[in-house]
Amino acid sequence: MSDELLPNAGRRSFLVRSTTLAGAGFLSIALPPALGIGDAQAAMAATPAYTPSIWFTITPDGVTTMHIVKAEMGQHIGTAFAQIIAEELEVPWDKVRLDMPLESAANFGIYGLAYTVNSGSVTTEFDRLSRAGALGRMALVEAGAKLLGAKLDKCYASAGRVIDRASKRSIGYGEILQKVKLEKSFAYPADFRSVKLKDRKDYKVIGKSVPALDIPAKTNGSAKYAMDVFLPNMAYGALAIPRTRHASKVLSVDDSAAKGIPGYLKSVVIPDHMNKCMGWVVALAETYPAALAASKALKIETDAGPYGSLSLDDIKADFVALMNKPEEGANWVLEGDVEKSMSGADKTLAVEYSSDMICHAFMEPINCTVMQAADGSWHVHVGTQSTSFARMTLTAYLSMVLGKKQEELSVFVHQYLVGGGFGGKQDYDDVLAAAYCAHVLGRPVKFIQSRESQFAVSHPRTPTLHRLKAGIKDGKLAAMSHDMVSGWMGPRFAVGKKFNNGTDWLQLDSWDDKKQDIDQWSVGGSDHWYHVPNHRVRAWNSDRTTWAIQASALRTVSNSYNMFVVESFMDEAAHAAGRDPLEFRLSMLNGKGGNRGIPNTGHPPGTKSDYYLDQIWISLPWPTDKSWPEYESGTVGGALRLANCLRVAARKSGWGSKKLPKNTGMGLAVSSAEERQSPTWVAGVAEVTVDTTTGAYKINKLTIAMDMGIAINPDNVKAQIMGSALWGAGQVLSERLDFENGLLKQSNFHEYKPVRQVDVPEFDIELIESGRHPMGVGEPASTIVAPAVANAIFAATGARVRHLPITPAAVLEALKALKA
Amino acid sequence: MTNLTINGRSLASDSPPDTPLLWVLREELRLTGTRFGCGLGVCGACTVHIDGQAVRSCQVKVGQVGAGAITTIEGLHPSNAHPVQQAWIEIQVPQCGYCQSGQIMQAAALLAHNPSPSTTEIQDAMNGNLCRCATYPRIAGAVKRAAQMMKEKKHV
Ligand code: FES
Ligand code: FES
Repeated sequence: MSDELLPNAGRRSFLVRSTTLAGAGFLSIALPPALGIGDAQAAMAATPAYTPSIWFTITPDGVTTMHIVKAEMGQHIGTAFAQIIAEELEVPWDKVRLDMPLESAANFGIYGLAYTVNSGSVTTEFDRLSRAGALGRMALVEAGAKLLGAKLDKCYASAGRVIDRASKRSIGYGEILQKVKLEKSFAYPADFRSVKLKDRKDYKVIGKSVPALDIPAKTNGSAKYAMDVFLPNMAYGALAIPRTRHASKVLSVDDSAAKGIPGYLKSVVIPDHMNKCMGWVVALAETYPAALAASKALKIETDAGPYGSLSLDDIKADFVALMNKPEEGANWVLEGDVEKSMSGADKTLAVEYSSDMICHAFMEPINCTVMQAADGSWHVHVGTQSTSFARMTLTAYLSMVLGKKQEELSVFVHQYLVGGGFGGKQDYDDVLAAAYCAHVLGRPVKFIQSRESQFAVSHPRTPTLHRLKAGIKDGKLAAMSHDMVSGWMGPRFAVGKKFNNGTDWLQLDSWDDKKQDIDQWSVGGSDHWYHVPNHRVRAWNSDRTTWAIQASALRTVSNSYNMFVVESFMDEAAHAAGRDPLEFRLSMLNGKGGNRGIPNTGHPPGTKSDYYLDQIWISLPWPTDKSWPEYESGTVGGALRLANCLRVAARKSGWGSKKLPKNTGMGLAVSSAEERQSPTWVAGVAEVTVDTTTGAYKINKLTIAMDMGIAINPDNVKAQIMGSALWGAGQVLSERLDFENGLLKQSNFHEYKPVRQVDVPEFDIELIESGRHPMGVGEPASTIVAPAVANAIFAATGARVRHLPITPAAVLEALKALKA
Repeated sequence: MTNLTINGRSLASDSPPDTPLLWVLREELRLTGTRFGCGLGVCGACTVHIDGQAVRSCQVKVGQVGAGAITTIEGLHPSNAHPVQQAWIEIQVPQCGYCQSGQIMQAAALLAHNPSPSTTEIQDAMNGNLCRCATYPRIAGAVKRAAQMMKEKKHV
């Protein structure tokens, strides 16, 4: 290290900038006025800065700027990452800033895949951000010791200073950088393996509820979303609602009426290469209101395509037809002998569940601004879950549309705050359309989805159909089978995204010798953590559904329906076995066999589900030889941790002891979302009152216990739990999308109904900080609400509703069925 | 041309008089803190004050504003000194933040007219403002906290 230390010798302008910054632009976030692409870069260029690894830069003013590759979309991820780094780096919190690297081909090589997904940010980055912080601290302590003339082993760092225990003298990080040129940088993963991390009991910043750095800009209007971008000579684009959600073709466009609208420029049929933007016509104008009016004034003749008369009933019929061909189903879980065990059971229970489509309905409609610069490069301004995929998709598209080689195209993606993502901001149709319009017009184009066009081209969660069967023997769940059919999002998602080793990006193989493709994102969650000796999950892909509705990921992906199904069914099985739902669950959450967690997840490391943990989440650099330092799996402890959450939630809620008014009941649910290999353990109890005359019901209270390992920021964890639980409440109470003649029906928030202020129940939340590896907290709690409510409705009235959402009409019908 | 009074300043708009005030504020005058959510008056993201009343700026035509004094989130207090903003930060309300300008403007108007609203009054007043991140429990808590802060201020 000492070789890297050069005495100051009066030079004020060392060029001590890491090459990682040389080509990078940064968007400063959280600091109003926030917008200033290049500002942060320029500021850093002017001062000697130290960037020991790609994740942060320390400047001589003592400020540490964390470079956040993840999207800031409500989870306060920048603050969480900064806490992790600051802990080991020992920088004072008030000197921490955030920025977001620009996405480009060059920066992709440095920062890797910028992709925020699957509740995986903290889980996958915690270990190496900790190590990066520790390495930076070690370099600074070494430099500081030298400047203090102190022995290295007598020096330590605290609050941005290097302190000599012997002399009690100290020097600040900023001062160190003013005096010496620090150049030693650490490569990942080679230099990261041996570093010693803090004992977790000594944490000072991790586990502390520091205020989120992005919040002050969100209370005075200065926060910058992509819609707040203005480029010189910019025009506006609005989408004419296509004839069908997917695969219609534009035959002709008559814009004579639009021509009468002042400011109208032209209408553009978007080329549908890559099967995106099919049937899209964008109206361009000098202002957004003019573009919107023009988009409605266009007369468009279309070929409705293969889905022009497809409706939800047809999809349901497809589902039934598929499920009636058992030999074609792919086995996702296969343990023991289900058929044999069923035939030997004392009692069997066979029921059917289903769920409706829902969509993300983020408050910020999708929008982006695209321009082609004078040097021919393309600049996309967008708030997205993956700037990397936005860049790759646009590059591939432009290469087709413009007839150029991909290497000849240079695309930059500027990231902004995301006004809600929930899995729905990882398709790039809008980017392609805006770029093509910018190309046609020769001007920058700001494209904004109206709420109506946003709903029309949303990427919904697939509808689903499930058939479940339980075999009860000696009061125990001896066998369980779960057949499920839905649209699989994976095959659609994989367009243009072959993984770098050439494998199918999103498909696993079935759990048998047939090696059928199976889409984890559509079946996950059905592989629950209960010990059931004979257990089978079989899945079918309704491919027509996938494409017709453009099925996609929605907060917790398949857990959002599978937890409803599994946890409702567990209640039914408990009652069929004549046992208390709590005691019944606990008896099976015993951590036996594959439910022990690592080292025995049921999937040998490096295969099956672990594939994703290894390769997709790691945002980079991707050591293809899997040589990164290993870190603890979130599965450690297995089902026993889930049992613990359930005990805590049940006790806090007064399960079995609290006196409840008439028509009021309590329901339980547990969840291990997001995936089998990345569980956050959570349990909840819903207390619900049903009006038996109308079927309407009210969620009075939600008690939730979550073991996320380490809570990086407990106050934010609680906020995330409440927000996601209310998201789950919307799914059971009121959210649904219809599909008719190839079109998604609901057009705005008067028809599509997320929860509002009046729907909020009382909350009682318990964080179980077990000290294990930290897991994602922004989604899992959303999955327990629907089943807990369904079970509570049953407890209150005896009515069992097996469909999401649970409408008052469905409750009434179930009540009637009871009487009959 | 339409003359407007926004955040105490006189500003002119060249937009046709039937243009929704929202787009004049956002795209013409670049007061982008006011957000577009639905364009239909059903989400509250675009809430501003006209003469102290909370209105949905997507439902007001710029030609209708006349002499009305418009306050946007930028005018509430640029450095977050308004009690509602302070409460919002103290309670850490925003998640993605997109709906929050509207929530804050709605809450500020509520408290200006009703300094100590009950839980039901808060629910009623805030029910038109959607938050897809569902920060509702903290919104309700922050309205109460802001009311308390305003009272304390008066006593000083
Ligand atoms: S944008 Fe005005 S109420 Fe939604
Ligand atoms: S904070 Fe995200 S919509 Fe309200």
